[in-house]
Amino acid sequence: MSIVIVGMNHKTAPLEVRERLSLLPCGEKDSPLTLLMGIPDIRGVLYLATCNRVEILADVLEAYSAVDEIREFMIRQGQIPVAESQCYLYVHYDQEAVRHLFRVAASLDSLVMGEPQILGQLKAAYRQSVENRTTGIFLNKLLHHAFRVAKRVRTETGIASHAVSVSFAAVELAKKIFGALENKTILLVGAGEMSELAARHLMNHGAKKVLIANRTHARALQMAEDFQGVAVPFEDLSESLREVDIVISSTGAPGYIIRREMIVEALRRRKNRLLFLIDIAVPRDIEPAAGQIDNVYLYNIDDLQDFVDENRQNREKEARKAALIIDEEVLTHQTWMNTLQVVPTIVSLREKLEGIVRSEMGRSGSWILQMNEEERRRIENLIGAIVNKILHDPITGLKEESQDHDALPYIATIRRLFRLDG
Amino acid sequence: MDLLFFKASLSVYLISTLGYVLSLLAKRVLVARISTWIMAVAFVLHSIYLITRYLHIGYSPVLSQYDTLSFFTWVLAGIYLILQFKTKTRVLGAFVSPVTSLLMIMASVGLGGAVSIPGSLRGGLVPIHVVLSVTGEALFVMASCAGAMYLIQDGFIKRRKLNPLSRLLPSLRDLDRINHFCLLTGFPLLTMGVLAGSIWARVVWGSLWQWDPKQVWTLAAWFFYAVLLHQRLAIGWKGHKAALFSILSLVILLVSLLFVNRYFPTVHSFV
Repeated sequence: MSIVIVGMNHKTAPLEVRERLSLLPCGEKDSPLTLLMGIPDIRGVLYLATCNRVEILADVLEAYSAVDEIREFMIRQGQIPVAESQCYLYVHYDQEAVRHLFRVAASLDSLVMGEPQILGQLKAAYRQSVENRTTGIFLNKLLHHAFRVAKRVRTETGIASHAVSVSFAAVELAKKIFGALENKTILLVGAGEMSELAARHLMNHGAKKVLIANRTHARALQMAEDFQGVAVPFEDLSESLREVDIVISSTGAPGYIIRREMIVEALRRRKNRLLFLIDIAVPRDIEPAAGQIDNVYLYNIDDLQDFVDENRQNREKEARKAALIIDEEVLTHQTWMNTLQVVPTIVSLREKLEGIVRSEMGRSGSWILQMNEEERRRIENLIGAIVNKILHDPITGLKEESQDHDALPYIATIRRLFRLDG
Repeated sequence: MDLLFFKASLSVYLISTLGYVLSLLAKRVLVARISTWIMAVAFVLHSIYLITRYLHIGYSPVLSQYDTLSFFTWVLAGIYLILQFKTKTRVLGAFVSPVTSLLMIMASVGLGGAVSIPGSLRGGLVPIHVVLSVTGEALFVMASCAGAMYLIQDGFIKRRKLNPLSRLLPSLRDLDRINHFCLLTGFPLLTMGVLAGSIWARVVWGSLWQWDPKQVWTLAAWFFYAVLLHQRLAIGWKGHKAALFSILSLVILLVSLLFVNRYFPTVHSFV
């Protein structure tokens, strides 16, 4: 009995191979789950395929032969050249498989560490396994444990907090300045992928209105349609600065198009309401001196990039914390698995002794029947207590041994001494 | 009996302060949240103390110097807790609770000793004068705490140095709103408090205004706050400048509250 993972991810295998495996048919007969369950050694299986990884998690009777079969399956389905399969695929056994699963669930193994989608994908894969009845007690327990670990990592470390892309950094900073972004107005100056993305993120977080200024007014009108915003004439930039809260500028202009005096003037007219300026353009659009004005916060592309880099480093630091949590949880899971190993033996031991008690009571029928109800009940209680006392030490011993050493020799000895198998 | 409650609440205030400081060090909001509840407990104990004290001495327990300090703390803690449960800016406590603890310690020095309150101070408008002024002043302290946090947060964002502490601090706008709200409510209260005081002064001392150092300093502070409020409402001062000015005004108010009695001869020698 073993848990194994055979898989590949963005670090080990090229996209076209991952693609082939993640696009397998999901019909009844030829779905990967059905095919995998056909392998004799496999008792339970989960198939996780996303654009960045393919993982097959299986509860197997005999690890090595099962792993060979699963590799075979992946090589066949992914049309992987056999020579390359060694470096494309990785295999983890037991404790390491559990650790790998926990890392995946907690998004430590993701391309963008801490991204939240993977947990949802894992949950979907699990749901599919449950629907196809390919999970057993081990996988159920393991997956639920993995979901708990992911949640714990998320709440106890900062792995998922703080923006790691420039456009999200704009949102995070805006929130530090304005709190909630409801009813905030954005001014987009010029066009550009990054500035538009930042505007969209800000709108997703509550920003309400977008003004768009562009040297080519037709372009502004077109963008206004995209954003359901308002196109304003480029010449009226100073006017627009009065009513907006966040300015994202990314024109191709060679010089500054928003000057310090413009901001000073606008700020006076807007009664000093806070103003957040984001200058994504290179060369810069906004005069740097504007950043020194009270209540004006100016970030250029380098500032945002620094902010993002710092967050990245922060995530890596948090990842080390997360690894400790995972170590701890792997151990917890191992303890449970270990105890599980001895459970069948404990059960048969109890059954055996209870059987002896029952048959002996039956044989001594004649004299025991002469007793009244009360006395008979007492005798039964007494025998039960003696049996429990005798069993107590071996059972606790067995449970304890299962944690410290490999429990198998103990299990074998007890099974042999009490003839539990025969 | 009543002193027991005072000591209990003092200790609980200290624990909550410790909690808030820890929350800053550990950079965890959860710790601040727990500290808020601890502070609420301290506030309840403190309220019980004030009631028992009132029953014990038979007049409002706000008149002697130490009683006033304790009452001041009570109001400050109360305002903070209300703000807290409304705005959820937990970390504000890290700035307010040290003030409450400090005031409580100062109050504890002379509390319980026999205090002779002159008859002129026991009745009439005096309790109203004290309650209104103290509440107004507590609101100003709160405004300055928010202002101080504003300046710190503003510095972080301006210098583009965001760190765990700045992530913990509330947003600039929230801090500015707290500052604004506290000024807006504190000012009329202090104004009415001062008016009540001067009316009573006319009754007992014969005139509304004595050119007493205490009165002069308080009026100066009142004037600063009036200017600040005017600038905020009419000119549209916001954020940085308003935060800075509210701290400056508090300094003058504190001189009037804490130092004038020690270093100047004053008729207002009781508080």
